[in-house]
Parts: sequence; structure tokens; C-alpha cells
Amino acid sequence: MEDLFKKELKIINMGLEGFAETLKERGTTVLHVRWQPPAMGDDSLLSLLDKLK
Amino acid sequence: MVLKYHISNNTFRDSVYLMRLSSTVRSFEGVVEAEVIIGTDHNKKFLQAAGLWSDQMDHDAGANDLIIAIKAEDDEKAEKAIQSTIEELNKSVERENLLGEFVPRTFETALKNLPGANLALISIPGRHVHREVDQILDAGLNVMIFSDNVTLDEEIALKKKALGKNLLVMGPDCGTAIINGVPLAFANEVKQGRIGIVAAAGTGLQEVSSLISNMGEGISHGIGTGGRDVKASVGGITMIQALKALYADAGTEVIVVVSKPPDREVTEKVLELVSEATKPVVINFLGGNPNDIEKAGAVPAATLKEAAEKAVNLARGGKAEIEVEHSPDKQLNVQNIKDNFNESQKYLRALYSGGTLAYETIILLHNSLGDLYTNLSYDQVKKIEDVYKSVKHTVIDFGEDEFTQGRLHPMIDPALRNSRIIEEAGDPETAVIMLDLVLGYNAHPDPAGSALEAIKEAKEIAGKKGRNICFVTSVLGTDEDMQKRSEQVKKLLDEEVLVFPSNADAAVFVRKLLAE
Repeated sequence: MEDLFKKELKIINMGLEGFAETLKERGTTVLHVRWQPPAMGDDSLLSLLDKLK
Repeated sequence: MVLKYHISNNTFRDSVYLMRLSSTVRSFEGVVEAEVIIGTDHNKKFLQAAGLWSDQMDHDAGANDLIIAIKAEDDEKAEKAIQSTIEELNKSVERENLLGEFVPRTFETALKNLPGANLALISIPGRHVHREVDQILDAGLNVMIFSDNVTLDEEIALKKKALGKNLLVMGPDCGTAIINGVPLAFANEVKQGRIGIVAAAGTGLQEVSSLISNMGEGISHGIGTGGRDVKASVGGITMIQALKALYADAGTEVIVVVSKPPDREVTEKVLELVSEATKPVVINFLGGNPNDIEKAGAVPAATLKEAAEKAVNLARGGKAEIEVEHSPDKQLNVQNIKDNFNESQKYLRALYSGGTLAYETIILLHNSLGDLYTNLSYDQVKKIEDVYKSVKHTVIDFGEDEFTQGRLHPMIDPALRNSRIIEEAGDPETAVIMLDLVLGYNAHPDPAGSALEAIKEAKEIAGKKGRNICFVTSVLGTDEDMQKRSEQVKKLLDEEVLVFPSNADAAVFVRKLLAE
């Protein structure tokens, strides 16, 4: 956490793309993740995958 | 009238992009209603309620598919709208390919491509947050969770895990933060400096940081905790971590804490920690007890503006009251404005986009204005029955869930608030319409311009009936914001709208106008 205050921010943005765009425009290091719901959004498949973990 | 739909399989776009696209499609010729939306069960119910539903959709679209649903005047117009929407969706992918930038699909891949990443900003649907953030914490990153709809148990689990790893989890439902001078999500471009802020109230952090910047001082870090952090069940985990971090931060000389009054146990913990502080701490527990704060050796502030002023004074070692700009109420003749109201005009209609600002106004006005109603929860004020219909003095926060289901937040799209401004002007009892205009990253590009369109129409409606409505506003932001505060203020003043330096100033002026 101390890192956060002392080092340059390097951000991974997951979700709203606009947040990454505004950060990029002002020169902040940011990588946007085009996130999609896992297991094709299928809740029962998702809980099965979680159990396999 | 026809209803047509198209399903794009395995197509996912973020909700803000899709709401903007939906609003564009609604403006196409012959289109009556339109939604471009992901096929989750929740969204399907939304389509049903919006009259854009066909049972076949349930079979055709799943939670990873995109539904384009159009209600149009005829078949041809509906089909044309669908084709244009598909073209728009394809364009967004083409733009991405043109930029030649790699866009990862998972956190794991992202981390490989951005080694040394130290913060994740999360705004995915709430029910997926725990699973993603859990692995992000394992990878050693701090997290800001903008998403809401994360369960309390999940919040507690994530925060405990982060604490064990000496990582920070801001949020869920954390709308704004400033770390190392970098404004995150809905934050303002403020000066960097020596005042640190911890806030469990989003627009509270925006207001205090902007006012401090406008007073000529700057912000070291502004840490958002999410509103639930100060509940006994969460125990103020993030607030306490943030305070300790600011104590240890050499760049922070004065600390401001902004929050609704925390639960008793959390207040005790926070004040105990504050009593050990070696730096001055200013606390605004919105509507909380100032005596406890003083006992802990901290400086209580009754309003967000007072918190900003006191922090600036402490940083400078001075005691003078600081003016952000000349406040209009010193020149205004309250009696003249009152005389301009006709007999039926008695009430305030405060229409807010920032929740904390609405809350602050309630605190400042509820004792002096009897019969105050609101859609927010505040012990001593009556809850409004129908949020779409004002009663006597009314304070409405358009950022509450009832207004944002399937819609953009009013700070991005003020359309709903604008139509309410016009509606209030038709009510003979409306005397004062109060508005907050919130500038900053990701907010509307011209909040004053947008509000003025409605204000002009409202003035005309009231004028025809021989009524003068007094418009009272404050503009939250800085000249470094892309909307440029001074230009926004000028636009409003040019149309004879009253602009105050802070929300608290605006509320105090309304009190002078309308107090019984």
C-alpha cells in the first residue's frame, strides 16, 4: 500500500472504458481490460467452474 | 407500431457505452423507443417493463449476448435502426483495431502486459466483483471498486483480505479518488499539495478537494472508502487504513475526514486513532456531534466548505476566513427577491446530482424549513412518497437507484433532472429551484449549458403566469477541469442565475430566503 503513494500509478481498468480513456488522455499509465462475464454469463456453469478451482 | 429485435451473440460492451448508444438510437427517424442492452435476466425484466419485450428473446439471448430492441413507426424504420446500430457497434471494434492497441480480456493477461501495475479500477457489474477482486488482491494490487451491488459480506471479505496483505480496497460504490495527483473515476483536476482527504462520501470528496484547490492549496491524496465502510459490520477498515497511510505519508501535512456519521463503534475507533495523530485532522461527520471530535483533539467542521477552509488555514498556519470568490449574497438584497415571489410561491425544490451535496443541504435546512421532504434517508426528515412529485419543500437526489436503473447517472446525463426543472416551474408553489452542477472527469461536458436550456424554458413557463422563480446554484469543480469552472459560472450569471462558491453557501442563502 505504501507503494501506492510513492510510485507512479500504473492502472488496470476493468469495466467502463471511459475511465481508461480519460486517464490515458491525461497521460496516466493505464491498460483497459475488455471484461466479459465468465462462463458465458451462465451462473450454473460458473459455480461449477468455481468448485473445480 | 412495430417491435423488432436483433441479437448479437457473444458481444459485450460496458453499460455506459450501451446507454449512450441507446440514447443515440432513440433519436433515429421513426424510432419510438429503443434499448441496446446485454441479455442478463435483470435486463430482460427491464425490457419487459419498457414494453420492448418478445418472449422469443428469452430463448434467443443469454447473458453474454447483446439485444438491440427497437419500437418504431413501421417495419422499414425499425430495420433501418437495427442496421445502423449494428454498424455503430462494429465501428467501435474497428476503432480499436485501428489504434493497434492490445486490449486484454482478462486481468491475468492485463497484468502480464502491464508489469508493476499497482492499482485496479473496477466498474464491472456488482455480482462479478468479488471473484475478480479476490484474484487481483492475490496478485498484490490495490483496488478501487466503483461498482455498486456488491453484497456486504463480499465487501467485508475483500477488505479483510486486503488488510492482511497491506493493500487498500476503496469502495464498493466508491465514485471518486485522487491518488498521487491522479484523479480516478468522477474526480476533479485539482492542484497537488499537502492536504490529504479520507472520504466515505463521494461528492463530499469532490467538493472538499475542489474548494481546497480553488483556495490555492492542493491535495496529496484523496482516498474514498465507499459509504458502507463506516458501518459497524465493516468496521471502518478502509478509513482506518487510509488514516494510517496519510499519517505516514511525508507529503501530507493536514488531513480532512468526510463521512456521514459512522456507527458508534466505528466513530470510537476512528476518533481514538485521530487522538494519536501527529498532524492536524479536520472532521466533517455530516450532521454528527462536534463535541466528540473536539475531545479527540481534532477540528470539527459543520459543512464541506468549512472543512476545506479549516484545512487550508491549518496548512498555512493562519486563521482568516478564505473566500473562494466573492459570494453573491453579500450584494443581494434578500428582501427584493422575496418581494418578487407572488403569494403562492413558498417552497424550495432542490434537484441534485451529487448525493452528499443533497444530504448537506438537508442538514443545513431541515431545522429552519418546516415540511421538508426527500428521497434520501435522514432521521428527522420525511421520506417523500412519490419521488416524481415534489411536496412542499423537497430535496431530490437524482443519483439514487430509483432514477438510475437503466439510465446514466445525472452527472453524465442530466436529462431527467432537466425535465423536472421544467415541471417544477409549472407548480405555482415553487419559489426556489436549487441545483448542483458537478464538473470533472467523466461528467457531462457542459452541465451549465444543459441546465440553462431547462432553466430558460422554466422561466418562460413561470413568467407567463406572472411568477419569478429564483434559481440558486453552486458549481463544483476547478478551472483545470475540462468544463472550466469560471466559464460555467459565467454562463449561469449571464442568464441571471445565482451562483454560490459552495453548496453550503447556496443552502445558507436559501435558508435566508425561505425560513419561516
